[in-house]
Amino acid sequence: MPDRELVVSARNGDLRARENLGRRVGRSAYVFALQLAGNRDTALDIAQDAVLNFFKNLDRYDADRPLDPWLYQIVRNRVRDLARQERLRRHDSLDAHLEQSRPESATRADDPVHEAEIHDLQRRIWQAVSKLSEAHREIFVLRDYHDLSYREIADVLSLPQGTVMSRLHAARRNLRTLLAAEGTKDYE
Amino acid sequence: MSETQHEVDEALLSGYVDGELTQGDEQRVRVHLAKCAACKLTTEELLELRKATMNTNFQVPKDTQWDETPRGGLSRFFHNFGWLIAGVWLIAMVAYAVWQITTDSESIQLESMLGFGVLLALGMIIVSALIDRLKISKTDPYRKVQK
Repeated sequence: MPDRELVVSARNGDLRARENLGRRVGRSAYVFALQLAGNRDTALDIAQDAVLNFFKNLDRYDADRPLDPWLYQIVRNRVRDLARQERLRRHDSLDAHLEQSRPESATRADDPVHEAEIHDLQRRIWQAVSKLSEAHREIFVLRDYHDLSYREIADVLSLPQGTVMSRLHAARRNLRTLLAAEGTKDYE
Repeated sequence: MSETQHEVDEALLSGYVDGELTQGDEQRVRVHLAKCAACKLTTEELLELRKATMNTNFQVPKDTQWDETPRGGLSRFFHNFGWLIAGVWLIAMVAYAVWQITTDSESIQLESMLGFGVLLALGMIIVSALIDRLKISKTDPYRKVQK
């Protein structure tokens, strides 16, 4: 069910819609929090806060606007608060963040070698992303993992839209340098 | 890579890959890419990078993990000790039954002790559950959320 319908049904007291909406919001918030904070326990705490915040403000939320940018703004603010208070827990194993089996990512589903290569590339990229500065990591993650438009990214990060493209490109350039430094094919 | 060398600002390549350029800028980049192998390669790498990231799946917690609340120290003590006593009581009860069958004798004192044991074990487990409930009622982030 699309987000808008879920939100409207949840507002009208549909318990099943509330449950589905909570799950959908929680999962999105968790993944973004994990990408910023690098720790699963912290990400879970932040995601739970985000779900709470979402339902508290459900009546004020404009269902015609996309859900994710608003949600990511909450998550980002929470991550920054924790970082300011030095309460972010240290990064756990980066490999543990990724799904082991991703059949939908393979272009040739019957080719396990090809799938393993793709997974290895994704793992290397994720490791390199985790080495980016906070400013570069968040903008890269929003665009290249969550597919937000430049306008949505500008809203989430409170940046002028013109700055998004230059910062994003700088992040991508740094990432390619990191990948080349560790010998990833195509980036050497 | 400066604009004078490459005619376009390098950041425009990202905008081009993302389909975020104005019609004029997009046209400028397209013309430039037709004659600049380095920028063409950069653009292809950006597309490959994006393809890999967009297909990356991150692990999310199982549905049950969202509701898990870590058990506190006092609750854990009552819970574990309650179950320990219940286990000891069960073993003693079985041993007592076997002893009664084999000797055909009675011991009122032992029966009282066994009765006390089961009540104590159940009591401790109930106390542990009450502590958890009390803790959740104070810390549950969803308690103010309207059903």
